[in-house]
Amino acid sequence: MKLLKNLPSRLLLFSLLSAVAAGVLGAAEKQPQSVQVSIGTILASNQSDEFDAKLKGLESQLRVLKYRSYRLLKNESQNVPWQGNKAFEIPGGRFLTVAPQEFRDNRISLRVRLTQGQKPLLDTTVRIPNRGNFLLGGPPHEGGALVLSISAATQ
Amino acid sequence: MKDCERVQESLGGWLDGELSSTDSDWVRAHLGGCGDCREAQRRLEKITLVLHGALASEGRNIEFLPFWHAVERRIAEKRPWHVELRDWARGTFSAPRIAWAVPAAIAAAIVLFSVNSYFSSWRGSGARNNFTSVDSIDAYGQNVALLREDDTKTTLIWLYQNQEGENETTEEPPQSAPAF
Repeated sequence: MKLLKNLPSRLLLFSLLSAVAAGVLGAAEKQPQSVQVSIGTILASNQSDEFDAKLKGLESQLRVLKYRSYRLLKNESQNVPWQGNKAFEIPGGRFLTVAPQEFRDNRISLRVRLTQGQKPLLDTTVRIPNRGNFLLGGPPHEGGALVLSISAATQ
Repeated sequence: MKDCERVQESLGGWLDGELSSTDSDWVRAHLGGCGDCREAQRRLEKITLVLHGALASEGRNIEFLPFWHAVERRIAEKRPWHVELRDWARGTFSAPRIAWAVPAAIAAAIVLFSVNSYFSSWRGSGARNNFTSVDSIDAYGQNVALLREDDTKTTLIWLYQNQEGENETTEEPPQSAPAF
C-alpha cells in the first residue's frame, strides 16, 4: 500500500532522471571533444614485391591499386579540436592540413587540404564513418607514388 | 508511557513464551510495578482462556476429513487455460509490479537509443554508410579520379597529371594515369 501511495512521485522522479540521462547521452553523441586524426604515409611503387607487414590492416584496400610494393614511410596521429586544424608533414615538402567540421550520424565531416610549399594541390571535404578511413594518393615520390591513409575517430 | 506501550505490544508473545529471556524479564519486572499493564495482562489472559475453552469444546465437533478431501480435489483438478491465464495476468500485472513497467520501458528505450546511435553505421543501409563520401574536391587544375570499391569499402582519391602536362613543383616524374 505504501508503494502504491508513493507511486506517482516515484514514477515522476524516475522519469525525470531518465530524461536527464537521455539528454546527457544525446549531448554526448552530438558533441565529442575532439577528433583523433591518423595519417599513414605509404610509398607505393613497382620497384620490388615487398609488402610492409605494418600495413597488414590496409592490405585489402591497398590491393585496389596496381602497384607491386607498399612500404609505410610514416604514421602520425594528432588530436584535432572541432573547428580547429592540424598540419601533418608529408614527404616531398608537402603538408596535409586536416580540419574536422562536424559530427553527424556517426560520421565525421573533414576538410583536407594538401599543399606543396605555397602551392595548393588538393582541397576536399569528405565524410568519414567514425573510426573509418579513406585513401588519398597520386603525388609522385621516389619513383613511385605516395598513398595517404587518412582515418578519424571521435574522442 | 512508552514502556507501557511496548510491554502491552509484547504481552501476547510473553504469554506464549516467545520472548527472549532478557525481554521476558523486562516485561515481568514492568508488570510488577505497573497496574495498567497488569490489567492488560489479565484481559489478555482471560481472552486466551475463553478461546482455548471454545476451541477445546467445539474442535471435537469439526469434521476435518471433508475439508481435506476438498483441498486435495482442488490441488488435483486441472484448471482451464483462461483461468490459468487470468491468474498469471493478475500476478504479473498487479499494481505494485506494473508500477515499474513505465520506468523500465523508458530505461529500455534509452539503452536502445544509445546502442543504436553507437552502432548507427551498422543500420539499414550499413554497407553504404561504411564508405567515406566525398562532398567536394578541388584539385587546382590537376586531374583527379575518385574510386569507390564495394568489397573492401575503399574510397580513394587519386591525383594525377596528363603526361604532356608540366610538373612545375617537383622533379619527380608526373603520374600519367590513375594506378587502379
